[in-house]
Amino acid sequence: MDDTALIQAVADGDHTALRELFERHASWLAVRLRRNMPPDAVEDVMQETFIAVWKSAGRYSGEGVVGAWIWGIARRQAAMWARSNNRPMPLLELAASVDIESEAVRAVDLATALAAIGPAGDEQRELIRMVYMEDRPLNEVADHLGIPAGTVKSRLFKTRRLLKSALTGGKEEL
Amino acid sequence: MNTAPHPDDPKHIASCLICQANARQEAGELGINLYRVWSGIAADVWSPEVGRLESWSRKLLRSPGLARALVTTPSLFLSWIGASAFVVLIGIIATRSSGTPWAHILAPIVAAAGIAYAYGPAIDPAFELSRSMAISDRMILIVRALAVFGLNTAFGMVASLLASAATGLTLSWLAPMTAVAALALAVASITQSPAIGVTVAIAVWSVVVLISQASTGDAGSAIGAALVPVYLVATICCAAIVLYVTSGRQEKRTTWG
Amino acid sequence: MGVNGNGARRVTIEGLWQRFGKQEALAGIDLDVGRGVFGLLGPNGAGKTTLLRTLATTIEPTEGALRLLGFDPHNPRERRELRRHLGYLPQALGFYPNFTVFEFVEYFALLKEMPVDSVRPAVASAIERVGLGEQATKKLKTLSGGMLRRVGIAQAIVNDPDLLLLDEPTAGLDPEQRVSFRAMLREHGSHAIVIVSTHLIEDVAAACNDVGLLEAGKLVFRGTPAELIDRGGGDDAGDSPLERGYTRVLQEARA
Repeated sequence: MDDTALIQAVADGDHTALRELFERHASWLAVRLRRNMPPDAVEDVMQETFIAVWKSAGRYSGEGVVGAWIWGIARRQAAMWARSNNRPMPLLELAASVDIESEAVRAVDLATALAAIGPAGDEQRELIRMVYMEDRPLNEVADHLGIPAGTVKSRLFKTRRLLKSALTGGKEEL
Repeated sequence: MNTAPHPDDPKHIASCLICQANARQEAGELGINLYRVWSGIAADVWSPEVGRLESWSRKLLRSPGLARALVTTPSLFLSWIGASAFVVLIGIIATRSSGTPWAHILAPIVAAAGIAYAYGPAIDPAFELSRSMAISDRMILIVRALAVFGLNTAFGMVASLLASAATGLTLSWLAPMTAVAALALAVASITQSPAIGVTVAIAVWSVVVLISQASTGDAGSAIGAALVPVYLVATICCAAIVLYVTSGRQEKRTTWG
Repeated sequence: MGVNGNGARRVTIEGLWQRFGKQEALAGIDLDVGRGVFGLLGPNGAGKTTLLRTLATTIEPTEGALRLLGFDPHNPRERRELRRHLGYLPQALGFYPNFTVFEFVEYFALLKEMPVDSVRPAVASAIERVGLGEQATKKLKTLSGGMLRRVGIAQAIVNDPDLLLLDEPTAGLDPEQRVSFRAMLREHGSHAIVIVSTHLIEDVAAACNDVGLLEAGKLVFRGTPAELIDRGGGDDAGDSPLERGYTRVLQEARA
């Protein structure tokens, strides 16, 4: 069964399909998390991730690769884990807006890239920090910066280009 | 530009067994125990969370094991409770129409059946295994018997209120109900057969009722206050028998091998 | 994990008699077993099941002294603590038809008073170890005999017992399952006391480092599989050296 069929089965309550997804994807996801988190944290996050997959399989839109969707969940769980355990944010690579299949964007030194964008307190830098490092929902970011959510989105779009350029050292074509 | 798929490219790895195996090995080398992770996931996925009744029982009994044993009591399943309620209802109707307290003559039988079928080798296919558990079969029996008894007492009180507006709530029927239920349990424990226990209890109780009817002209006197001491003594004796039989003593049955 | 003082890792039996009415099921057993896999052989009626039932504390000895994992099973409090570290698979287990695999194993995990937060992951783990992951949410009445046997094994190992008692555990398992079962036995034997009663000689040969032979309620042989082999000769009945040793010892005991 291909991944999309498996997710559908999981949404229908088939736990053997979840097991198959776990068999296929848990290892590489764990390795990726491990780049920035200790092993026991990785195990906790992996467990929460797949429980979240079990509960939210119905919400998979069918767009994009299943593995990438699960990675998105894993990133959010990692951020939640860090927040509730008072640990520093894991410097995981960017997900939704940056092409994670791109070779050039691997384990990234986000702090360095942020510094390249502007000094501390700079709005663009704050925006990136809150959205990508802390995984905050856009409304929250909008409230915090005191700007409308629509404005956040358009600013993000502009900043993304800057960020990608900074991350890949200008090598990636946008 | 490198066009070969990277080993953790989500699209590629979904169908590449080699890359999956490599990833598994790498995860192991990094000290990640994915087997334990799966156990945690499966624990959530394979069974629902504990229900409200059980979770309340856990706090009351201070033992998750006893709580589980309680909510899985055969004679506390809805079908049993429904049947018991039905019998009591019939009794209430009969009482209202005839004046004889039928509800309270039937109540002991219902309680006896419920308790005899709460626990024991005839009910529990895994009885031998149950006898090797830290929570002893005697504890389980006591908890279940009390729960069933409590439920039947509640039925009895409802019957008492509904059956006769004149007398209102009486409790004299509690004594014979306890005695008959204890008798059923004692016989069931000795013979290891709930059916025999219930049969004997019904037989004895029927005799008592008939004798009461014959000697005083009123079957209801079987439930009367005069006999309470007799019932109490009977209950104590039967309870002692049950405790003796369930004390973990050697079974007399022969074994093969 | 919470075992008691001296003899904490041993099973010590002294002068054990089990009489049921006139029948003597066990006639004076002396046995001392430590960590590892101990195989209990013997013909039907020899007393293997009675011995296991006694060790599982489901029946009391008529006579004799027992010290299990350092606990005295006569003492109710010690018996309860012992049972928390016990795993037992009776010969005829029985099952609750409407329970799922998970519910069945969980029920007994709870009755063994495992710490409540560890119960569900331990149950899941035990089910995976016996290879029943796909059947975890299926009702027991839908399972085959071999699967039910594995469910029985799962409940026995769920609390990672220090004393594991298995009565004819491989009945109903196919050869492949028996192989992985023996591997599991060896793995447990590396950190616990495992006592397996079986009439399948190959089980003994493959998994046990220590063997006892019961006949008519008496222990007529105690030693390693190699020593049992040595007892046999070319003219004894049997298809394997171990079987020949087995028949020779039985013959001598009955003489």
